[in-house]
Amino acid sequence: MPRDETLQWGSRQSRAPQKIPLAHRLFAYGGFDFPFMLIVTVLMCAGLVMMFSASYVNALKHEGDAYYYIKRQGVFALLGVVAMLSISKINLNVLRKLAIPALLVAFLLLVVVLFYHTIFYDFKRWLPIGSRTNPILTVQPSEVAKMALVLFFAYAMERFQRPNHAIARDAVGARRFFLRWWSTGLYMFVLLAMVVLIALENHVSGMLITGAIGALMIFIGEQRIPLWLYAAGIGAAVLAVMFVFKNPEILGENAAARIISFQNPMSDPLGDDWQTYQSLLAVGSGGWFGRGFGNSIQKHLYLPEPQNDFVFAIVCEEIGFLGAACILLLFVALVWRGFMIALHTKEKFGCLLVIGIVLQVGLQTALNIGVVTAVLPNTGIPLPFFSYGGTALLMLMAEMGIVLAVSRVSREIKR
Amino acid sequence: MARRRQTASDRLFQRSMIVLFVLIFAGFGAGAYGLVDVVLVNGREYTDKAKVNQLRDTEMAAQRGTIYDINGAALAQSATASKVYINPSTLNKALNKEEIIQAMCDELAPILGITPEKIRRQAGYVNNNFMALQGQVDSAAMVQVDAFRKKKLDIVEKSKDLKKADENGNVTIRSTYGHFVGVQPDIIRFYPLGNLCSNVLGFTGADDIGRAGLELFYNKTLTGVPGRIVSARNAADANLDIEFESIYDPLPGHSLVLTIDEVVQRFLERALEQARIDAKAKAVYGIVMDVKTGAILGMACAPDYSPADYQEIADPALKAQIASIKNEEERTKAYNTAMMAQWRNGTLELTYEPGSVFKTITFSACLEEGVVNQNTHYTCGGGIQIANRYMRCHKRTGHGNQSLAEGLMNSCNPFTISIGQQLGVDRFYKYFEGFGFTEPTGIDLPGEYSPRKGVNIHAQENMRQVELASCSFGQSFEASPIQIITAVSAIANGGKLMRPYIVDRELDELGRVVKQARPVVRRQVISENTARQIRAMMEQVVVAGTGKNGYVAGAHVAGKTGTSQKLSAPGGGYVASFCAFAPADNPEISLLIAIDDPQGMINGGQIAAPPAAQIMENVLLHKNIEMRYTEKEQAELGGRAPDMSRKAVTEAKALLEKESYRVMVIGEGDSVLHQIPEPGQSIAKGGLVILYTDGSGANRMVTVPKLTGMTIAQASREASDAGLNIKLTGNFDSTGLVTHRQSIAPGAQVQLGETVTVHFVSNIGVVDSTAGGGED
Repeated sequence: MPRDETLQWGSRQSRAPQKIPLAHRLFAYGGFDFPFMLIVTVLMCAGLVMMFSASYVNALKHEGDAYYYIKRQGVFALLGVVAMLSISKINLNVLRKLAIPALLVAFLLLVVVLFYHTIFYDFKRWLPIGSRTNPILTVQPSEVAKMALVLFFAYAMERFQRPNHAIARDAVGARRFFLRWWSTGLYMFVLLAMVVLIALENHVSGMLITGAIGALMIFIGEQRIPLWLYAAGIGAAVLAVMFVFKNPEILGENAAARIISFQNPMSDPLGDDWQTYQSLLAVGSGGWFGRGFGNSIQKHLYLPEPQNDFVFAIVCEEIGFLGAACILLLFVALVWRGFMIALHTKEKFGCLLVIGIVLQVGLQTALNIGVVTAVLPNTGIPLPFFSYGGTALLMLMAEMGIVLAVSRVSREIKR
Repeated sequence: MARRRQTASDRLFQRSMIVLFVLIFAGFGAGAYGLVDVVLVNGREYTDKAKVNQLRDTEMAAQRGTIYDINGAALAQSATASKVYINPSTLNKALNKEEIIQAMCDELAPILGITPEKIRRQAGYVNNNFMALQGQVDSAAMVQVDAFRKKKLDIVEKSKDLKKADENGNVTIRSTYGHFVGVQPDIIRFYPLGNLCSNVLGFTGADDIGRAGLELFYNKTLTGVPGRIVSARNAADANLDIEFESIYDPLPGHSLVLTIDEVVQRFLERALEQARIDAKAKAVYGIVMDVKTGAILGMACAPDYSPADYQEIADPALKAQIASIKNEEERTKAYNTAMMAQWRNGTLELTYEPGSVFKTITFSACLEEGVVNQNTHYTCGGGIQIANRYMRCHKRTGHGNQSLAEGLMNSCNPFTISIGQQLGVDRFYKYFEGFGFTEPTGIDLPGEYSPRKGVNIHAQENMRQVELASCSFGQSFEASPIQIITAVSAIANGGKLMRPYIVDRELDELGRVVKQARPVVRRQVISENTARQIRAMMEQVVVAGTGKNGYVAGAHVAGKTGTSQKLSAPGGGYVASFCAFAPADNPEISLLIAIDDPQGMINGGQIAAPPAAQIMENVLLHKNIEMRYTEKEQAELGGRAPDMSRKAVTEAKALLEKESYRVMVIGEGDSVLHQIPEPGQSIAKGGLVILYTDGSGANRMVTVPKLTGMTIAQASREASDAGLNIKLTGNFDSTGLVTHRQSIAPGAQVQLGETVTVHFVSNIGVVDSTAGGGED
C-alpha cells in the first residue's frame, strides 16, 4: 500500500522531534471531500426550508411572528457554515490534544447538570446560562458528552492499541490479562459512566444514542472482543427490549407512556399518542407527491411543535413519498460517504472520529424517521439538519467540519 | 509491522462495513419500511382520517319560513340571534381553570339566564372544544356577552417553552374570556302577535325545530335545507390562511300563508276568553270556518299560552296553584301536566260528547232517508221507553205536539230518539260515517283526534236500540270540535263534507307560490234539498228556539245548541256548545263554541250562544257579508243620523223631532256647527242627537250607567237619561230579554251623545239539558 504524504501528519510523526512550522501543526492542508460537503449543504438547505414551512403556523400562533424560528435557525446555520469551514482547516493533532480535556469537561457538565438545571417538568437535561427560569441559552451536556465520547474513543483507541499488544505478549497471568484488557475496560467504564449519568438526567433518548455510538465504536475500534460476544450481547439487548415492552412501567412514567402509546398508536388519539397519531395522518396524507410545499394542513396546530422532532412528518406531507425518499437517500449518502472518508484515512484517530460522527447522524436520522412513521416508539430524537434547535445545528455543522478536516487527510479524495 | 497494521485495518474495515450496512439496511430500512407502509399501503386510510381531522363541516341554519295570516300579517317569524358556547378542552389546559369557571358562573350565567351548574356541567366535557351554553341569545344580551368576552384574563398554563416558564414551569398568557367563550350565529323564533293563535301555531324548541302545532306539522317545509361550509380549519378551530373552503348556501324554508284571518282570530279569542270568565269554565274552544271551502278562519283555545315562552304556564291562577304545591315531585308533575295541556290544540285533540248539536245530523239523516218529512209530528210526553230504558226529555212535562222544525227548535230528546229508532242502526251508521264521525277530518295540523271503535265511538255491529237512542241525540260517543263543525258545515254547504285546512299556500323565499291549497270535497253526505230544509229549521232554532241568544240582526244565523254531560270524564261536568252558520239561505261562515266544564249556567243556549252571536256579527261585518234586516229590526235599529250642519237650530230641531229623535241643543248660536252622532252614523229609533251651535260645551263628558240585566225599554231609557245613545245587538226580537253586556263599562266618562252597544240575551226557552235550569 503506497504511503501518501498526508501520513506524515499522523500521530507518531507528530511526536517526532522534527521541527515543524506552527501553521503546519495547527492547520490541515489539502482539499476536502467535495461530495460530502455538497451533501451536507443540500441537507442543511433542505432542512432550513422544510423547518421554516413546518414552523410557520406555530411561530405565528405562539410567537406572533411567522419567521420566529427560521430567523433564529438561519443565524445558527450561517454560524454553522462558518464553523464547519473553519474547523475543516484544523489539524487533527489539535483535536487529539482536545480529546481528554473534552471528556473531563463533559463529565463535569454531566454531573453539574444533575444539580443545576432548568426547571422543566422533571427533566434535568439542560444546563442554563443566565437565569434558571429564563435562560439566555441552554447547553445539553449529553450533546457535549456524545461528541467528547467520540473524540476520546477515537483518540484512545489509536493511542493505546499497539503498546498494549506489544507489552501483553510477554506478560503472564493477571498482569497479562490486565495489560491485554485494561483499555477495553476503560472504554466500557467511560461509556457506562456516561450512560448512567445521562440516565440520571431522565433522558432516555440521549442514553440510547450515546450507548449505541459508544458500543459501535468499541465494536469497530477495539477489535479484540470477538464477534460472538457481540452476538450474545445483541441477543441480551433484544431480550431486554422485549422485557421492557412487556413491562414498560420500569422505565418511569414518561418513557412508559410513550412505549404504551407506540404499541397502540390508535388507542387514544386524543391522549398520549396524539403526536404520533397526528404524525401518521401527516405522513399518510402526503401520498406520492405530497400536498406541495407549504401546503401542509397538519402543521396547522394539529401536530404539536412540527418544527421539532416531527418535522419529517411535515416533509412527507408537503413533498410526498418521493420527496421524503430523496431526503432519506441524502442521509444514506451522507453516511456512506462519511464511512468512505473514514475507511480511506490511514490514521485510526481520524477514521474513528468520522465513523463516530457519521454514526451519530445516521442513528438519529434512522430513529427519528422510525418514530415519525410509528415503526419505533416516540423517543424524542430530533432529525439532524431539519429539526429546530440552533445550538444543535451549530454543533452538527461543527462535527461536519471535523469530517471535512479528516477528509483532507483521507485517501478517498486523492483518487 | 506492516502486516499487523494491515490486519488491524482489515478488521476495522470489515467491522465498519458491518455497522454501515446494518445502519443502512436495518436503521434506514426501518424508516423506509415505515414510509412505504404509512404512505403507500395505508395512505388512503390516513388521508381519510386526516380529512375528518382537518375539515370542519359547519352547518349554517337556513332561515325558517314565516307564517302569515291570509292578509299577510306575520304570525311567526325568525330572526338571527346568537349561540354562546365554551371550549372545555382549552379551558382544561388552564391551571387557573376553577377561577375562570367561577367568573363565568358569576357573570355569564345571569346574562344568559342559565344556572351555574350548567356551565360547570358543560365545562366538564374536557375532550370537546364546543359545548353550547345557551342558544337564541338576543342582541341585547349579546352586548353583555361581548363585553364579558372582551374582559381581560390571565391564563396560567404549563409552559411548552422553558424559556418563558416561571419557576413552576408555568406560563401566564394575557388573554380575554373570549379565549374560552365563543359565539355562533343562531336563529330565534318570535311571534309578533304574542299569544294570538298560539294553539294553532305551536312553537319551536331551542334547536329551531317545530315542537307543536303548525311549526311541528310543517316543520320540514318551514325549515329549508341548512347550508354547509366545508373548510380546512386548524386544530384551534380557526380558518387556515390557505384557501380551502366550499360553501353550500342554505335554502331558506318556505313560508306558510294560513287561511286564518288575524281579525277573525282576534274576535274569536276575545270572545272565548270573555266566555271562559263569564262561565267560570275550565276551557273554551272555538273554530270559525269558511263553509264553502273548509278553510279555517279562526281557531282558538282559551286559555292559550305564549309560543315565545312556551314553558311558562300562561294561566296565572293555575301557575299560582302549581307554585303552592309543597312536594317538589308533585309540583314538577303538575307543572309538566299543565304545560302539556296548554300546548294542546283542544279544538282537534280533545273530544266531548256533542250532545244536542248532533241532532242536526240525526234530523239530516232521517230527512234524507225519508223517515221524516216536514209534515212529521211527534208528541213529547217528557220521555220515551227504549228497550228496557226510559229516556227523559230535558223538559219533564214534555214539549207536547211538535212539528219537525219545532222538535229541533226545542231540542226535544224523545222526538230525536223516536225518529232515530225509525232510521235504524244501519242507516244511522251510514250517516254517522258519512258526516265523518268515524275518522279524523284530515286537517293539516298535528295531533288530531282519531276515533276508535269500541273506545270513543260505538262499532256498528255493537249498536243496539239503546246505543242508537243515545247516539241519536249526541251522547255516548265522542267527537272533536273540528269534527263537529266540519259535519255541521256540510249541512251548510249543501251536503258536501269538506276537508278542513289551515294552510292556504306555501311561498318560497322570493314569495312565489309553490303550493296552493285547493278545497277538497270529501263526499256528498246529504242532498242539497235536505240540507236546505235543515238550514231553515236551524235558523228557526236561532230565531225562536234554544239558540235564540245566537241571533244576529240581519245575519240570518242558523244554529244548534248543545249541552252534554261528560259521562266519561272522572269529574263529570258539562260541555256547553253552540254550532252555527250564516246566512242561513246561503251560508258563508260557520262557527263552533264549546265551553268545557262551566259553573252556574251550563246550557249551550245560555252561555255558548251569546259569544257566538258576537263573533258571528263581527266576522260577517269584517267579511262584508250583506246584512238583511227585517222591517222590525230596521225600525229598532233606527237609521243614519241626518246631516244638520249649517242648518238653523230651530229648523234642525223641528226636522229631528219630526223623525222622533230627541234633541239636545248646546250653546247659544243660531245654526248647527257640529252634531253627535255625526251625519251618517247609525242612531237608534228615538235616539238622542246633540246639536252644538257654538264652540262652547264641546266635549261635555257624562258617566255611563249600568245597563246590564235590563229589558230593552229600561236600557234605552237609562241611556237617554244619561245623555247617551244605545245600539242594540243580539236577539232583541224575543221574550225575556235582558241586557247581557255593554260595550263601555259602567262608570266610564264618555262624550255626551256617545253610543253604547248593548247585547241582549234571553234566558227563556234556551235550555236543552236536564240540568242547570231544566227539570230532573
